[in-house]
Parts: sequence; C-alpha cells; structure tokens
Amino acid sequence: MNHNYVVLGVSLLVWGLLFAWILRVEARVRELEKR
Amino acid sequence: MVLRVLLFLWIAVTMVIALLRAPLVPVLEETTRVLYFHIPAAWLTVVALGWSMINSVIYLVRRDLRADDHAAAAAELGLLFCIGATVSGALWAKAMWGAYWNWDPRETSIFFVLLIYTAYLALRGSIEGEEKRARLSAIYSVAAFVAVPFLIFVVPRMYATLHPDPIINDRGKVDMDPMIRWCFLSMLVGFTGLYVWLQSLRVRVSRLERAAHAA
Repeated sequence: MNHNYVVLGVSLLVWGLLFAWILRVEARVRELEKR
Repeated sequence: MVLRVLLFLWIAVTMVIALLRAPLVPVLEETTRVLYFHIPAAWLTVVALGWSMINSVIYLVRRDLRADDHAAAAAELGLLFCIGATVSGALWAKAMWGAYWNWDPRETSIFFVLLIYTAYLALRGSIEGEEKRARLSAIYSVAAFVAVPFLIFVVPRMYATLHPDPIINDRGKVDMDPMIRWCFLSMLVGFTGLYVWLQSLRVRVSRLERAAHAA
C-alpha cells in the first residue's frame, strides 16, 4: 500500500476530529450564550 | 455553517492534492509535505501575536475590555501555532539535519518567542482584578511584540543557519513549483480561516467567563 495514502488518511482523520470538536465547543458556547 | 463546511472541505481537498498530486522538492524528498503545515503555522504565529499587540494598543487607548479579550485570545492562539511550528520544525530537522534540536539561530529565536508568550500567559494568570490585569498585560504584549519581528526575521538572517532560505527570496520572488505553490498558498488561506474561527470562539468564551464572574 502506498504510504502516501496512510499519511493522507491519518491527516484527514485528525483534521476531521479537530473540526468536529471545534463544532461541539461552538454549539456549547451558543447554548450558554442563550441562557 | 456553510462557511465552516467550506473551510473543512478547503483544507481536506488541499491535503489530498498536496499528498497525492504535488511533486516533491528534490533536496527535501518526502519531508516536502511538512512545508504545508510548518510554514502556515509559523505565519499564523506572527499574525496572531501581531493581532494581540494591536488589540493591546487599542485597550490602552480606549480601556475597552473587549480589546483585552481579543489580545489574550490572540496570544493564546499565537502560542499554540508557535508550538505547532516548533514541533513540526523539530521533526523536519530530525529528518534533514539528523537531530530534533540544533540551537540553530531560527530554533533559538522561536524558543525565545515561546518563553516570552508563556510568560505573558503566566502574567495574566497571576494578576487579580480585570482592569489591572488588562492594563499590565497590554503593556507587556506591546513590549513583547517588539521582539517578535527581530527574533523571527532579523536574527536568523544575521547568522549562518541550517534553515532553508525564506519562501520569498532576495529578488522578491517565490521559488516554488507551481503545484507546490498552489497547495502552500491554499493551506495558508485555510489555516488563516481556521485561526479567525478559533479567535472569535475564544473571545466568546472570555465574554461568557466575565458574565459568569459578574453574576
């Protein structure tokens, strides 16, 4: 297996997890702002 | 939400093209890919710390705590990107020069930037009282940023360094393969978008913290 695909997969996974985490934090912030 | 999804796709597509389509720089070989993270992180270090300094000046002029929120958030994020640039640079150094840390002028400079802004956050954490904290932190931030261009742009050019030449060469041109340049600039735009998002989020958290303390 081409190692570029492994590096790409890990990079996309890390970016995806980071993105999802920031979205979750933003949703929580929005919820607190509404209170 | 549309902007956020666009940002996600922008960076993801750039990653795919950078890893699967962009050629490698002959001397750097496989480590060429570090460039797409290392330089945007270094660029955002300077942008964020500069934004922190600008907001510190605004605070000192207007005494508006919203400017202090921006200054503190930018310093935190600047430090975060600085750590990213340092770690990716150390990994790159191991691959290219054989050691993670060589006390090269550029490595030494970034080490001092890390120390200066860690001290900024320690200072903020140690002062009671919003107004006093904001005022002293703003003065420190303005003084600290004077050192940043000197440490990042001047010192590494004054001494012999292992670090490659800057991206923009002495003739004011960018010496890069067009595909590498496209991926690099695209990643720079994506990282800047990510920074703007994180900055606004951190400022909103600071305002919530102030409201919670006031309640």
